[in-house]
Amino acid sequence: MKKKLVSMLLCAAMAATLTAGCGSDSSSESGEKSSSSGESKEITFMAPDWANPGDELLAEFTEETGISVIFNEVSWDDIRDKVSIAASGGEAAADVIEVDWSWVGEMNSAGWLEPIEMTDEDKEDMPTLETFTIDGEILAVPYANDYRIAYYNKNHFEQAGITEVPETWDEVYDALTKIKEAGIVEYPYTMPMNADESATTSMMWMAFSRSGQVFNDDDTLNEEAVMDALTFENQLVQDGFVDPASISFNGMDCYRKITSGEASFMVGPTKFVGISNDPEQCSEIGNIVPILLPGTAGTSPQTMALPEAVGITSFSENKEAAQEFVKWYSSADVQKRMYAVNSSIPTRNSVLAEMVEDGTFENAGAMLDEADLIKSVFPNGVPSYYSEMSNTMYNNINQMVLGEQTPQEAFDAMNAKVNELIEKK
Amino acid sequence: MGVLVFYPTIMTFSYSLKEMKLTSPEDTDFVGLSNYADVLTSDSFQYSLQNTLFLLAVVVVLTTVLGFGVALLLNVDTKISGLLMALAILPWALPPIVNGIIWRFIFHPGYGFMNKLLIGLHITDEPVMWLTDRWLLLLIVAIVVAWRSIPFCAIVCLSGLHAIPEELYEAARIDGGNRIAVFRYITAPLMMPFIGIGITSASITAINIFDEIVALAGYKDLGKNLLIESYLTTFSFLDFGRGSALTYVIMLMAAVLGIFYLKSLNREVEF
Repeated sequence: MKKKLVSMLLCAAMAATLTAGCGSDSSSESGEKSSSSGESKEITFMAPDWANPGDELLAEFTEETGISVIFNEVSWDDIRDKVSIAASGGEAAADVIEVDWSWVGEMNSAGWLEPIEMTDEDKEDMPTLETFTIDGEILAVPYANDYRIAYYNKNHFEQAGITEVPETWDEVYDALTKIKEAGIVEYPYTMPMNADESATTSMMWMAFSRSGQVFNDDDTLNEEAVMDALTFENQLVQDGFVDPASISFNGMDCYRKITSGEASFMVGPTKFVGISNDPEQCSEIGNIVPILLPGTAGTSPQTMALPEAVGITSFSENKEAAQEFVKWYSSADVQKRMYAVNSSIPTRNSVLAEMVEDGTFENAGAMLDEADLIKSVFPNGVPSYYSEMSNTMYNNINQMVLGEQTPQEAFDAMNAKVNELIEKK
Repeated sequence: MGVLVFYPTIMTFSYSLKEMKLTSPEDTDFVGLSNYADVLTSDSFQYSLQNTLFLLAVVVVLTTVLGFGVALLLNVDTKISGLLMALAILPWALPPIVNGIIWRFIFHPGYGFMNKLLIGLHITDEPVMWLTDRWLLLLIVAIVVAWRSIPFCAIVCLSGLHAIPEELYEAARIDGGNRIAVFRYITAPLMMPFIGIGITSASITAINIFDEIVALAGYKDLGKNLLIESYLTTFSFLDFGRGSALTYVIMLMAAVLGIFYLKSLNREVEF
């Protein structure tokens, strides 16, 4: 009997270890809040380290408004988990939280975000606000601009006898062929294709720049556009333009191939405008030029943005103070000063233009022109099922470039999943 | 105990019987066992189950065999026994995520130590893609996890070896037993309960692998086990209903294994 009891207790303890990771930690999250009173003059702000405005700026905000801000630094990967766990228990993980562009659909459906008031002037100045606007309501305000822009290594192109800036994907393909044939670099093109989020977004901007759309108006995949993008990506791999090892690299490792001189062309994040001018991070200073995204008949008339924003949780008990903070945080002055603190690219085009003009951004190339071409790839806003859809997309893209699937098989798998998710919605 | 274990266990079970997708907060209907049916019949579950069973088998075999082997080596009294013991225990002290990150650098396709070694020794000209083949990836994960779990098994086995009375060996030697006979009829049977503990521990470790997979391969389908599947369903796709059902399935599997091993522990030892 005693043995049985011990056995049962041990089994229960062993099983309990499995639930340990799934337990809610909402109490500790809400514990970050120092006050639950509606009149509180203290708010919490949960975001990754790169969103931290720094003690000096926060002190200025407190002096101006009387609202003190507790910055809760959490890694980007963990924020969504913490917010969802707290929200499932009706708690606020923090008053103001990081909202990635890819989370906004699900957070809206879950009712976790409070609408934010912005002036028409603000809306016009921040094209990436469109990504965070659903049914006319602004759910978060972007603070870090990231849109896709093309980069080419002028030196490599010139060595291969190419003097014209490529404007179409056909011209890019021809240039890559010449660079590879001339032996300037072994793998002249770089693009994230690992089974993670960056492979999904890469396929999306590829389809967006080549065909002008990714999704149909009913949110289903546009077969022609997606198949074209998948086929082209696959061709770049099959033709040996992409380093096979990079198929399992993360996004940043792929992008760094341009700054290390291992690749000659890429489409990547705007932050590489700065990185390509930093001698500590780039061995090709002065050779990497940001240019407009290529298209089919000329440069692409649109680009995809992947901005990060701040939003106010519906469960916050300090909504007014949080609104005030978000407005201050996204103001032109703070955006400009934030770049000096943590290199966040401003989301206000007016600030971006000012910083290009005053030389803050060196060799900015087409950075400013591309910012005017930002459009959302989602006709009805980022869908609530984005994570599940993206998971299927990146796994199938990865399988395709590894030679396990044809572009058609990859598309069929994605299409079936997207249709299933739309039906369930 | 009640608050920390039974309350979340009961709550997880109640979630598993409901439609509970956080992106549809108004839709929380009772759906009975349909979440379980969905989970058990999905291709994704079958795939993850295969990966989990593969990891379980390889981790248990590697941990037990090598753990027992290390214990036999450490049981030999030498001047550097203390140092060897400290070295053997070192991997056990590593947090799983750190363990995974260390091995990711070793198997990184671009600048990994293993590829540099193979290319340096002219064994291969091209970098080996260690982490893009399903079974190779799983084998590497199993080796990495076994590397971390071998020390515990070795210490348990070592304590077992120390617990065997010296008189038994002396009696065997007087009876003319050679080394193999002594091992077969004395050491091995008396070590079974300790090996059982090692197997139990290795099994729990193998079912709970998470950090090493994430560090080596991320959340991609290729190497996902049931725990990754559960994490994705619950926290990435925000489907708490289905995720809870999946968690319960894993719990039941672990409990069955626990009962099986505990029963084997209670076996009478004959020598």
